[in-house]
Amino acid sequence: MNRRFVGVVIVLALLLGGTSMARAEGQVGTLEITGVPADVNAGRYDRDAGVFSADVSEIVGALITVKLEDVTIVGKTMEWRTDDNYLFFTVDAKLTQEDFELTGDAIEYFGDEKKLLSEGNVVVITEDATVYADHLDYDEETDEALFTGNVKVVFSDGGLEGERFLMLLEKSELRFFGSFQGEFSDVNSDED
Amino acid sequence: MKLSSKVKKAIIALAILMIAVYSIFRFFVEPPAPPISVPPSVQLLESRLVGRKDGLRQWEILAQSVLQAGDSVTLTDFDEITMFQDQEPYLFIDADTAVWDRKLEILHLYESLVRDEDDGFYLESDLLIWDGAKETLTSPGPVFMLWEGLEIQAEEMLMEAQSNLVYLQDDVRIRDGSMLWRLEYAVYDLDHGRMDFYGSVVLEGEVGDDE
Repeated sequence: MNRRFVGVVIVLALLLGGTSMARAEGQVGTLEITGVPADVNAGRYDRDAGVFSADVSEIVGALITVKLEDVTIVGKTMEWRTDDNYLFFTVDAKLTQEDFELTGDAIEYFGDEKKLLSEGNVVVITEDATVYADHLDYDEETDEALFTGNVKVVFSDGGLEGERFLMLLEKSELRFFGSFQGEFSDVNSDED
Repeated sequence: MKLSSKVKKAIIALAILMIAVYSIFRFFVEPPAPPISVPPSVQLLESRLVGRKDGLRQWEILAQSVLQAGDSVTLTDFDEITMFQDQEPYLFIDADTAVWDRKLEILHLYESLVRDEDDGFYLESDLLIWDGAKETLTSPGPVFMLWEGLEIQAEEMLMEAQSNLVYLQDDVRIRDGSMLWRLEYAVYDLDHGRMDFYGSVVLEGEVGDDE
């Protein structure tokens, strides 16, 4: 169970910044629930079922935070299933790293399948671009991030809009499916 | 001197009256008993004490020394205390001293170790208080517990025997393998293996450790 907990956080770290497992060895991952009055129930850990759940959505100023190294995930509700290594954040869910930020109505991590999903009002902010979409599906095995539904990619000099956008992270390749339209304020063709 | 018959009669009557008064006080009115020094307590040796509620055994102690003073019974030099649930032994307690208030049905256990070999349950506290009426076991001070692989520490604890709920309060620390929970207040359901937590929570997990 312990490995699973840290495994979740480590994989998220790997996803976002190429943080190596070797670097994470010996580190301490933390989960904190803050801003909850001492007499208010913040959640439950069902050891038999292997489910840790917390809900602070009704508590003003309260927050659930998971940290490992430079990766932080926050939200107002959380479910962590230790049996199949599943992590689910909702309500103000946000995942941040040094140069990366993911927000969405929900952020899910399927540890056994090594997949990260985000649903609803997905926004990914990197150093190079900001991507808006209804849905993000990241596959750790293939290192591909697929954005679908009202996709909008905003660069410093313009943007593109479409329905389906695939980022091949390992290859540093971007693929646009279907019709896309966009505008760029300054295109330097000499760079090609 | 020659006394008249009247005077003689009066003297005789007076003498009879004095004798009567003396006799009454001497034989019929007892003087108050002088104070007697009595021992304040009763000491028994090698006694089996059984605490009951509604006729059912709650606990049992076989003690070498039992000192009774009023409603308070102090037990020392005993092997272990057996706590019963549904007439069956379910907890065994080693303690240095046990003081039982018969009237209040409260058993104070000093320097206590509680264990249940079947479940691997272990509890250590400087003072445990068993309330027979409420069927609760309280540690008003720091407590350390082992249960199904969990290490539990808290500044205060209350365990309800009927519901098998454990209430942990103040600086609660629960270690599950390499995971450490730090809580303000937690309620652990021993039967269902569930913990409800209150207030702020910190969970630390060390990378690379085995379960």
